Amino acid sequence: MIDHNRIGTAYGLTVFTPIVPGHEEAVRDAIECLPRGEDGPFSRLEQVHFARLQIFDQLVHQGPSQRPDRLGTALLVFTASFNGARDAFLDAVAVRMPVEADSWWSHCAGYPGTADRAAFTRYLTRNQVPTHLFSSPYPTATVQDVRDSLALRERVVDFVVAAQHLEPRELQERFREAFADVG
Amino acid sequence: MSIAPVRSPESAPPTDAGNSDGRHSALTLFTPIRRRWVWVVRAALWVSKWLPMTQKHILQFKFIHMVRWSVVKRDRLNDAYLFFESDFDGPWQQYIDGFAYVIPRDIRFLWGRGYDFPAPPPAEPLKRWIAKNSMEGGTFYSAYPSASTKMVLGALATRERLESLAAENASLDPEEFKARYDQFLADVQGHL
Repeated sequence: MIDHNRIGTAYGLTVFTPIVPGHEEAVRDAIECLPRGEDGPFSRLEQVHFARLQIFDQLVHQGPSQRPDRLGTALLVFTASFNGARDAFLDAVAVRMPVEADSWWSHCAGYPGTADRAAFTRYLTRNQVPTHLFSSPYPTATVQDVRDSLALRERVVDFVVAAQHLEPRELQERFREAFADVG
Repeated sequence: MSIAPVRSPESAPPTDAGNSDGRHSALTLFTPIRRRWVWVVRAALWVSKWLPMTQKHILQFKFIHMVRWSVVKRDRLNDAYLFFESDFDGPWQQYIDGFAYVIPRDIRFLWGRGYDFPAPPPAEPLKRWIAKNSMEGGTFYSAYPSASTKMVLGALATRERLESLAAENASLDPEEFKARYDQFLADVQGHL
C-alpha cells in the first residue's frame, strides 16, 4: 500500500481538529505564547524537522464567482514533518510534551487528553487530513543527520584552511586524526 | 463565524513571527477548488508522486525544505479546498518571480482550478493573490533554523564524500591520499 503521507523516511502529518465554539482565543493564547526555538516543546522531539500550529477561523472569499463558504467551527491545524512512523511520533508527543499538547487540543471537540495515549493517538489519527503529495529535497535525512552534517561541514572548512600547505604525509596523518570519528 | 474580508491587493502581506523561525518561513494556503475540477486536482497530485518531472519541477528551487498538498472536503463547505504548506528559506515574496516565470504551467494547473486565479506570468498579481490567501498566525518550529536548503544539501553531500575518503584513507599511501583529497576538495568546494 502506497502511503502518500510519506516520502523517503519522512512523514508529513496534517491534522484538522474542530475548536469548541468560544475557545478560539484560548487556543490562540496557548499556541502563540509558546517559547520559540530550542525552548519550545517541539525541540524535545528529535524526529521533527518542522512543525506548525495555526487556527483557521475564517476562509478567504475569492470574489463574486465563488459562492460564500463558512466554516462551521474554527479549526486548529497542526502540521509536522518528521522521520519515522506516525503513531510513534504521536506517542512521543503525548509522552514528551503532554502539558503543551493538552494546552491547545483540550479546547478541541472530543479531545481525550494525553494521559490516555492510545485514545490520544486515535483522536489525532481520526482527524488526520491525508496528504496527496509530499516532497522534500532530502527525504531520507533525519534531523540528526542534518545537524551532524552541518557540524561536520564546519569541521571540514576549518581543516581545509589549516591544512592547505601540508605535505602529503602530514596531510594524511592530520586528516586521520581530525576525522577519526567519520566513516 | 464570518468570512474574512478580502485584503487590499496593494497591502503588503502581514509579517508574522508565527510564520517564521530563524531564516525559515512557512506558507500555508487554503483555497477553494471548483467542483468540476476536484477529481482532476486530486488525481494530478496522486500521480505526481511517481512522476520524476513533477518532483524535479518542485524541487528545482533550492530554497524549499518540505512541501505538501492535500485536497480537503468538509461537510459544511460548498467547495473542496486545496491545502498547501511549504517550509522554505526566507520570505516567500522574493521567490515568486521564479515560480511565475519558471513553472507557470504547474502553478496555473493546480491553483487555476479555483476562482479568479491570476494566472502567471506576470508575477505581481500572483504575489497579491498569495498575500490575500496566506493563512497567518500561530506558531512555527524548525529543527535547524539557521540552515538554508543549500546548506543542508551541501552538508549532506560533503559528509557522504568525506565518509568515502575516510574509509579509503587506510589503504592509501600519502601521495595517493593527496590526490584523493584534492579530488574531494574539488567535489565539495561548492558546498563549503
